[in-house]
Amino acid sequence: MQKTELPPKPIEPVPDFSKASRGFRGGRALGLLIGTAVLFGGIALVSDTFLKPYTMFILTRQIAFSILIALSQAVCLVVGGMNLSVGAIGSMATVILGLCFQELKLNAWEAVPITLLFGVVSGAINGLIITRLKINSFIVTLSLMFVYMGLRSGISGGSPYTIPEDFGFIGQSAILGISWVFVLVCFILLATGYMFSYTVFGRHMLATGGNENAARLCGIATDAVVFRAHVISGLLAALAAVLWASMIGSCAPETGDSWLIGSFAVSIIGGTGLNGGVISIAGIFLGGAIFVLINYGLIEIKANPYFANSFLGALILLAIVLDRVREIVGEGKRLGRSA
Amino acid sequence: MSASEQKSTTGPLALRGITKSFPGVRAVDNVSVDFYPGKIHALMGENGAGKSTVMKIITGIYQPDSGEMSFHGERLAPRSYRESLAMGIDIVHQEIQVVPEASVAENIMLDKLSLVSPGGRVNWRRLYEEASVFMQEVGLHLPPSTVVRQLSAAYKQLIQIARALAARATVILLDEPTSSLSLSESDNLFNLLDGLKQRGVTVIYVSHKIEEVYRIADSISVMRDGKLIGTRPRAELERNELVRMMIGRDLREQRIGSTKVSESKVVLKVEALSKAGKCTDISFELREGEILGFYGLIGAGRTEFARVLIGEDQADSGSVYVNGQKATIRRVSDALFRYKIGYVTENRKEEGLFLGESVLTNLTLLVWKRMRHPLTRYISRKKEEVAARKMVSELSVRARSLADLAANLSGGNQQKISIGRWLLADCDILIIDEPTVGVDVGAKEQIHQLIWNLARLERKAIILISSEMAEIIRLSSRILVFANQQIIGEVGRLDDEERSYAKVRDEIGNLLSAIH
Repeated sequence: MQKTELPPKPIEPVPDFSKASRGFRGGRALGLLIGTAVLFGGIALVSDTFLKPYTMFILTRQIAFSILIALSQAVCLVVGGMNLSVGAIGSMATVILGLCFQELKLNAWEAVPITLLFGVVSGAINGLIITRLKINSFIVTLSLMFVYMGLRSGISGGSPYTIPEDFGFIGQSAILGISWVFVLVCFILLATGYMFSYTVFGRHMLATGGNENAARLCGIATDAVVFRAHVISGLLAALAAVLWASMIGSCAPETGDSWLIGSFAVSIIGGTGLNGGVISIAGIFLGGAIFVLINYGLIEIKANPYFANSFLGALILLAIVLDRVREIVGEGKRLGRSA
Repeated sequence: MSASEQKSTTGPLALRGITKSFPGVRAVDNVSVDFYPGKIHALMGENGAGKSTVMKIITGIYQPDSGEMSFHGERLAPRSYRESLAMGIDIVHQEIQVVPEASVAENIMLDKLSLVSPGGRVNWRRLYEEASVFMQEVGLHLPPSTVVRQLSAAYKQLIQIARALAARATVILLDEPTSSLSLSESDNLFNLLDGLKQRGVTVIYVSHKIEEVYRIADSISVMRDGKLIGTRPRAELERNELVRMMIGRDLREQRIGSTKVSESKVVLKVEALSKAGKCTDISFELREGEILGFYGLIGAGRTEFARVLIGEDQADSGSVYVNGQKATIRRVSDALFRYKIGYVTENRKEEGLFLGESVLTNLTLLVWKRMRHPLTRYISRKKEEVAARKMVSELSVRARSLADLAANLSGGNQQKISIGRWLLADCDILIIDEPTVGVDVGAKEQIHQLIWNLARLERKAIILISSEMAEIIRLSSRILVFANQQIIGEVGRLDDEERSYAKVRDEIGNLLSAIH
């Protein structure tokens, strides 16, 4: 009878674990950085106006919006879902903000919280239907997208609402040549990064997206995680709408119409996995920058704007294809090693 | 041997020296066997014995590393399922494979639609006519246009057999065909198989249900650890002998060491726990330092019970006591955080690990809440790494760094991480489900040692679910035998050394053959 009282000894010395931080998927961030630099340099060479302070102000603001909207999408992608109603919530929030200002004569301290509350509620509706009734997030958010789009057209009749003049401060002024919106969004982005890297809530989101069954069997309340992801998504979309209104100086009902495709483009270019469980804050930042720079570059080289969507679609596809190629190459290597 | 050299159109399907290895495991080891026309030949063995690999080799899904097959005296070396189908060899898989939204007739004639569609237009009347011929043969008395989705598992099984017949298969392999059938449905299937046999079809029947094999098989082959243990005519094989062939083992028959159960410390008491369709009237006590083995075949209700216990499924009735207190477990977090019950899942890839996450995350995920700062919510990376590193070295996980993705580890190391996670969470009661499926021999030994150490040295109470008899006997202090979602018997006092491995094995065998 064999009896061993001691635990088995390690077979080999335990290697150095100093590089244990999760970090961002290294190669990808570098690739994006190079891409951003190339775009930046290229545009700077061909354009006289590009390096002017005013352009930088406009660009940082656009980048900020594309990041914010992408974050709204990415928090849903990361738990393994999606939110097609990002833009529609934005449009509806704009209408609500306009009503608060124009019809109810509320001040900004009242109107903005109400608008953000709408974002939270709409996200909660998405989250509740998805988790309680176990319906795919695609179909739930697609349906609600149309519901909100119809509501905003019906309520607003298509014409913009006027807002108080001083409400334009955050959207229109700058600090050291950089838009306030950019500063605010960078702060949100960093907070999100902190959440995903260092808090239980963020890491539970990653775990839920990575393997929902395993997460549930580890005692993670996966339904609550998905629900909260949608609430955050709705809140961020509504916040984007508020900032947008501040930027353009009125509440235009069509505000969110162009957000959806961009939200996916920036998330995916930035390396947020469509299957969930992966997000990169650096990736989303650079993805936002690339997205804005490409759009600017297209204008700069006087590309026919009617084709803009084709470029965008091709870009998303390219990002996905590149990712898939890396995966296939990686799998090949792994199999080669173990065989 | 001469059979394979004869030129005839009625020769057996013969396997000679078939060997197939996968990384770290020889799944099929030098298997030679003949399957004769007009006979029902049962292929038996425990999970992982190599039965399904043999079936996949016969049907061209896998190619053997060495060895030869012949059929009707001609060499058989299918490179794909289609090629084997063309030779008249078809398989009815355990998981029912039908197109749910299509009609019965379409499912049967799926690969022959072009034959009844002159000019690309489906001639529905002809399709129904031809399909109904095969439907009659298997006893499917339904309109051929019935949509499959609404039919029961038994009907879907029959559809698959009809499809094999429509493909003019003369060899039909069935993989655990009764696993989703009721008794009377099984009876119908057996009658059908008898009919096929009369018509000269070769039926290869994979099952681990002893009762049904005795009812229909003409001869029985038993596999174990990839090797063919023997082929006998049914009439000459005693049930006890068959059980012994299936589960007997020369290696590792010894117990790993005695456990020291604290008889007075009942940490978990389950009383008449029931959940419709999952488990019925389960009652037992688990003590400190005990390894309680749950033995049974797949689908016997062990995993299903475990999921009810940890709150993943809700019990219909019954009660659970942890350390003498009545426990209310509504979700997995209750089991874990309130009662310190951990469950290491059986499918570590599907339900255990976060393959895309690091070793670090996979290990520490349950204890994050304990490591965070009360105000900033910051999870201390340092505490995390200290904990993970400790576990990695205690379990001797082979990884280059804590940042390695779980997906890149070997099966044994993945399993160690799935267990280590619950150890870090200080679980006092651990349910470990099939811990050594798909891990190599060396890692298996380490995992056995680990489980034993947990009970003996760390005084954990462990429920070990395993379908491998040798593993259960090697580790358990006591064994509960499950069948049909119930506990059908107990084999106790394994720490008493008077009883040999063979005796324990026979006790379990007797329990099982009594109900089968």
